[in-house]
Amino acid sequence: MSATLVPETPETPEKSENNGKAPVFSVRGLWKVFGPKADRIPGSAEAGLSAEELRARTGCTAAVRDVSFDVQPGEVFVVMGLSGSGKSTLVRCLTRLIEPTAGELSIDGEDVLGMDRNRLRDLRRHRAAMVFQHFGLLPHRSVLDNVAYGLEIQGVGKAERRARAAKVIEKVGLTGLERRRPGQLSGGQQQRVGLARALAVDPEVLLFDEPFSALDPLIRRDMQEEVIRLHREEGRTMVFITHDLSEALRLGDRIALMRDGGIVQLGTPEEIVDSPADDYVRDFVRDVPREQVITVRKAMRPANGDEATDGASVAPGVTVAEAIEVAARSGGPVRVVENGRCIGIVDHQRLLAVVAGVEAGVVPA
Amino acid sequence: MSVTTTAPDKTSLEKRDPDGAPRRAGGLKALLTHPLGRKLVPLTALAAVLIPIAAVLWGSGAWPSELSHDVKAPLDSVNQWIIDNRDTHPLFLYFLLYFSNAATDSVDAVYNLLDSLGWIGVTATAVLFAWRAGGLGRAGLKVAGITLGAFAVCGLLGMWDPTMITLALMVVAVAVSAVLGALLGLAAGLSERFNRMLRPVLDTMQVMPAFSYLLPMVLIFGPGTPAALFSTVIYAVPPMTRLTALGLRGADPAVLEASSSLGASFWQRLLTARLPLARKQMLLGLNQTIMMALSMVVIASIVGAGGLGEEVFTALSTTDVGKALAAGLPIVLIAVWLDRTTAAAGERFGATAAAEATGARRLLHGWRAWALVTAGAVVAAVAGRLAGATLWPEAWVYEISTPVNKFQEWITNNLYQDVPVLGGTKVWADHITEWMINPLRDGLLDAPWWLLLLLVAVLALLVGTWGTALTAVLAMAAVGVLGVWPKTLDTLSQVLVGLALTLLLGFAIGILAARVGWVERWLRLVLDVLQTLPQFVYLIPVVALMGVGRVAAITAAVAYALPAVVRITTQGIKEVDPAALEAARSMGASGAQQLRQVQLPLARPALLVAVNQGVVLVLAVVVVGGLVGGGALGYDVVFGLARGELGVGLVAGAAIVCLGLVLDRVTQPTAATRKES
Repeated sequence: MSATLVPETPETPEKSENNGKAPVFSVRGLWKVFGPKADRIPGSAEAGLSAEELRARTGCTAAVRDVSFDVQPGEVFVVMGLSGSGKSTLVRCLTRLIEPTAGELSIDGEDVLGMDRNRLRDLRRHRAAMVFQHFGLLPHRSVLDNVAYGLEIQGVGKAERRARAAKVIEKVGLTGLERRRPGQLSGGQQQRVGLARALAVDPEVLLFDEPFSALDPLIRRDMQEEVIRLHREEGRTMVFITHDLSEALRLGDRIALMRDGGIVQLGTPEEIVDSPADDYVRDFVRDVPREQVITVRKAMRPANGDEATDGASVAPGVTVAEAIEVAARSGGPVRVVENGRCIGIVDHQRLLAVVAGVEAGVVPA
Repeated sequence: MSVTTTAPDKTSLEKRDPDGAPRRAGGLKALLTHPLGRKLVPLTALAAVLIPIAAVLWGSGAWPSELSHDVKAPLDSVNQWIIDNRDTHPLFLYFLLYFSNAATDSVDAVYNLLDSLGWIGVTATAVLFAWRAGGLGRAGLKVAGITLGAFAVCGLLGMWDPTMITLALMVVAVAVSAVLGALLGLAAGLSERFNRMLRPVLDTMQVMPAFSYLLPMVLIFGPGTPAALFSTVIYAVPPMTRLTALGLRGADPAVLEASSSLGASFWQRLLTARLPLARKQMLLGLNQTIMMALSMVVIASIVGAGGLGEEVFTALSTTDVGKALAAGLPIVLIAVWLDRTTAAAGERFGATAAAEATGARRLLHGWRAWALVTAGAVVAAVAGRLAGATLWPEAWVYEISTPVNKFQEWITNNLYQDVPVLGGTKVWADHITEWMINPLRDGLLDAPWWLLLLLVAVLALLVGTWGTALTAVLAMAAVGVLGVWPKTLDTLSQVLVGLALTLLLGFAIGILAARVGWVERWLRLVLDVLQTLPQFVYLIPVVALMGVGRVAAITAAVAYALPAVVRITTQGIKEVDPAALEAARSMGASGAQQLRQVQLPLARPALLVAVNQGVVLVLAVVVVGGLVGGGALGYDVVFGLARGELGVGLVAGAAIVCLGLVLDRVTQPTAATRKES
């Protein structure tokens, strides 16, 4: 069951060729099966069975089944799904913390599955760092030494790693707490330490495994802001695992929605909310405030007559919610302007149709 | 959980019972599908076939002599062979001799070191290191105070030299045990297969009474320091091994995963994450290893290693309570000193240390502090030497044996008997012997041997699996084959009486402590001390109170086992899910109802553990009670050791091990039944 792509989405490899940049992670037909004789499952007759049937027949559980996707440089790629959907296994497969059963996996075009132990260790030390749900901090070390831990493993000298760790600590806003032990910090602070530890090794890509699930809602929001800020400042590639849809929509440039080990839909937040691939996804996004995800590019209609020259204007990437505010202030239809050219109009009807979740195209202007 | 399983049991029983004779097919089917029935029905069938055959072949009295095998003679000849060849045979010359020489040399070296430090040096060293281990605050001062007091009393009682001998043995034994235990624990913590292999060995070692370790070592090395040292090491290794493995295995998987995700190699992960995370458990293991070693070093004095244990031993053999007490008190104090010091060090590691000290206080942290402490100790030792004080000054010795013996005489005259209303300790002892031990022993002796085997099988099957039952029955049969059936039953009767008293008192006190806050607080202080004491010292007060005899041994056993039973009971009851208790209270359950309907059923696993611990501990002391007239197997061991008749001793030792196995297996809920309940 490979990723069901939304028709409008350009296939990712093509996009990468178009951009001229190789994907950071390229995953093709990846499987992870737990259980006896797991390696026989991928590609066999049982591969298509449902999770329960597979377990009943072979005693195996396919945590990740035939997953393919690319992670582009600089994007925040979110893998989202309920517990048991295989998302945490998937992210561990990326650095072979869990050994995939079958498939292809490369980082910057380099085959990960073929790496020997030293190359793999190198990958983990320098290219991909991970932030964990349960922090995984060393309780007997100070915050500073926890942050410097990755550098210590790389063999960086004590003075230098502490200096570098101190810089990262400042970046994540933990200044003043360097000498504390993890046990003396709040959950949010502990996760900042986890984040700092991952950042300290200056990895090419950051992997987040449900990093904020264990935190209170308010602190979770803070930490999400922090990630957004870091991403804006550094433009680092991120793979973010979450079970929280609003988190996925907030953070993700693209979202892969997983169910029973497979990707059900892969697309931008807007695509997922606007055109769910199946009933499962539709059910999932039912309660999402659509006006906050869907942009006016999606909601607009062609301009009639003099509408193209007159009235308030917004950019096409603006969400419907923002356009509603503009429309309410101006009282009339709003022009969607790209590069100084009006490419469409959103009027009250159009905007309301998005909020209501009904098809607006049939309504005459 | 247990509530849910027992409930259907009851209903199915009730359903069957009213019919009187239930419909055969349905009844049998119900019996077979019931978990207990599934086990007991095949056993009944097996017994119905085997027992008549056995009864016809070998009669129904005590263990049939046809099935006994004389092992004493061959053992004696082995012993003789070893004695004859100890100085000539290559096995000894090129292998075992090295061990025994290394043991003697290292203990001598430590003793000489302690001797040359002088009493001032030793005391100063112990106090300074205790203070360092306890940390800077009040904890450190308290530990240092305890240490100072302990050593001062040892000297005042005139026991300085025996104390140093014991200490020298301890230092070597603990060092070897700790290293060995840590290595084994490391292997078991890292390798699942090794862990699986090691665990049953450790489990078995844990139920073996200390006494049974002595004889094989004496057989190989002869009486003396090596035998004492090696039996101590073997006895003391399990806790270190177990807790090291536990600590390594119990490490937070998130931390280990984080470490791997950063690209740590195996050794990096071990050194930076796994071992530091296991540190607290390992310290706990070290603490237990030290306490076990002390317990054993004292007992091992019997085989000629000297030290405090020997003083107690010789005093007890002449019922000189005063001298026994003078040697016993230092043992108690050393136990308290060692326990407090290691416990304080453990707590310090466990506490999330506050902000690291700066400035002047930094001098008192890390390696600097150790250097400072060492320097201080050296200075004190040199100063002591210059002052010419190596041995504890004679003038400072206070002789307590005369006043104690006078007091003992008073006890004999006033408390043994004719105490109005209460009776007197001797009277109680006689009553216990007459009404409990003797009938039980006679009953066991009169019972057909196959009945006892069947009983063992049924009990083992009730708590465990077929494997458990088989082990237990084979161990019981081995006792018969060894030809010590009657003596074993004699010991068994003492153990059972001891166990009954222990459980009765232990559960009562434990329940009380769990329900009344202040009782628990006070009790904890007492239990902390009691639990650290070596088995040996329990013999002294009971001999003072009741003279020698089986009841003295049993009383010592009860006193020794009681703290553990009380503690486990209290903990089990207090750890009952508070939500369940709150629910019961919200429905208006009275205190007794809460206890009967919620706390006790939910605490059942803990209570079973308490029974198991109780039986193991009672057995350990009942056999040591051979020293104070407990008779039976324990006496054979002592006799074998004292007379050099190792054949007798070894057979008794083997029987003790078998009995220990039987008792452990029939009381130890296995993983399978634990899951069920």
